[in-house]
Amino acid sequence: MKVFLASLVFAAVVAVGTAMFLGGIQQASYSAFSTSGARVGDPGNNLMVPG
Amino acid sequence: MPGSLSTLKALCAALALLFVFAHPAAAQLTFKPTAEAVQEDKLLNALKEGDKITGRVSIPDKMSSSLIQPAGRDWRDFHRSKLPVIGGVVILGMLALLAIFFMVRGKIRIHHGFSGKTILRFATFERFTHWLTASCFVVLALSGLNVSFGRVLILPLFGADAFSAMSAWAKLAHNYLAFPFMFGLVIMFLIWIKDNIPGKLDLEWFKQGGGVLFEGKHPPARRFNAGQKGIFWIVIVGGVLMSLSGWFLLFPYVPADVTALQFWTVIHAVIAMLFIAAMLAHIYIGSVGMEGAFDAMATGEVDLNWAKEHHSLWVEEEKAKGHVPSGTTPSAVPAE
Repeated sequence: MKVFLASLVFAAVVAVGTAMFLGGIQQASYSAFSTSGARVGDPGNNLMVPG
Repeated sequence: MPGSLSTLKALCAALALLFVFAHPAAAQLTFKPTAEAVQEDKLLNALKEGDKITGRVSIPDKMSSSLIQPAGRDWRDFHRSKLPVIGGVVILGMLALLAIFFMVRGKIRIHHGFSGKTILRFATFERFTHWLTASCFVVLALSGLNVSFGRVLILPLFGADAFSAMSAWAKLAHNYLAFPFMFGLVIMFLIWIKDNIPGKLDLEWFKQGGGVLFEGKHPPARRFNAGQKGIFWIVIVGGVLMSLSGWFLLFPYVPADVTALQFWTVIHAVIAMLFIAAMLAHIYIGSVGMEGAFDAMATGEVDLNWAKEHHSLWVEEEKAKGHVPSGTTPSAVPAE
């Protein structure tokens, strides 16, 4: 049981660590792949959450 | 009056003619309103697989220059109609097969009963690697199935808001648990490859039905029998294909090509269905299907009689190393 729980904790740590690492080194797609003239407003959120 | 009427008619005709000459486009639209649409339809039908109509864009996203790609319709059709059928047949078919097998064969018992002595089958690090990969796989499989079947099966049960929130979290879990899964896959390959090289003994194992089809028959096997080797290679090859295709889906601007992305999503989805079906069989035989099997990954130690029946040559090797408990191994005698 300890081994199983340890594997779950390790998986969570690696997943969260990867998320933080990628979030830190990557540029947001709205700014990486579009110019300011092509953005609708509230970049990164305008198409994801209600207005 | 007749003279003034004919003059009026001539004036109207002249005005109409002037209007036509002054606005040729309007005149064309008036007489052939569907001409453009017909030509567009012909153009789309004339495009072959792999053809694209592309434009020129000034923004950094070069993929946005694809205007029309007919292969996308085939891809959409595959995801909406063929993939659910493939997934349903493969996964439900495997569940049905396992249920039938269980009803016909029942639980595979230890032929000589529990000996009361145990032998170490998997060390702590091996079990850690197994559960790391397995737990990630379960979350990846469930969240992946939600992508394919969630809208049909779960949305009507939970409602739009709950389904949306759950899917958003499931997508995050799917994206980021892919990394510990890939890590576990690499470790698993490194620690178990030496025991999973196919050999002549494996043919004999298959000929004898793996010791599970016929009661009391147990073909000799080393640490991993042919069935376990099959699972190992399914996990490795399937895992590599899932990781490779998943990598392109995680980072879609690596291929930076819509057609390539569609290809990798198809590979990802089809391999996933087969992978899940194979793992259902693995989970079955490692838990309810075989007495004493789960201990191998639960505590790391298995009953000596179980080990002798399913991995007789491995027990001999361990005995030679002095890893097997000494003394006789009496069969368990039921209390009377």
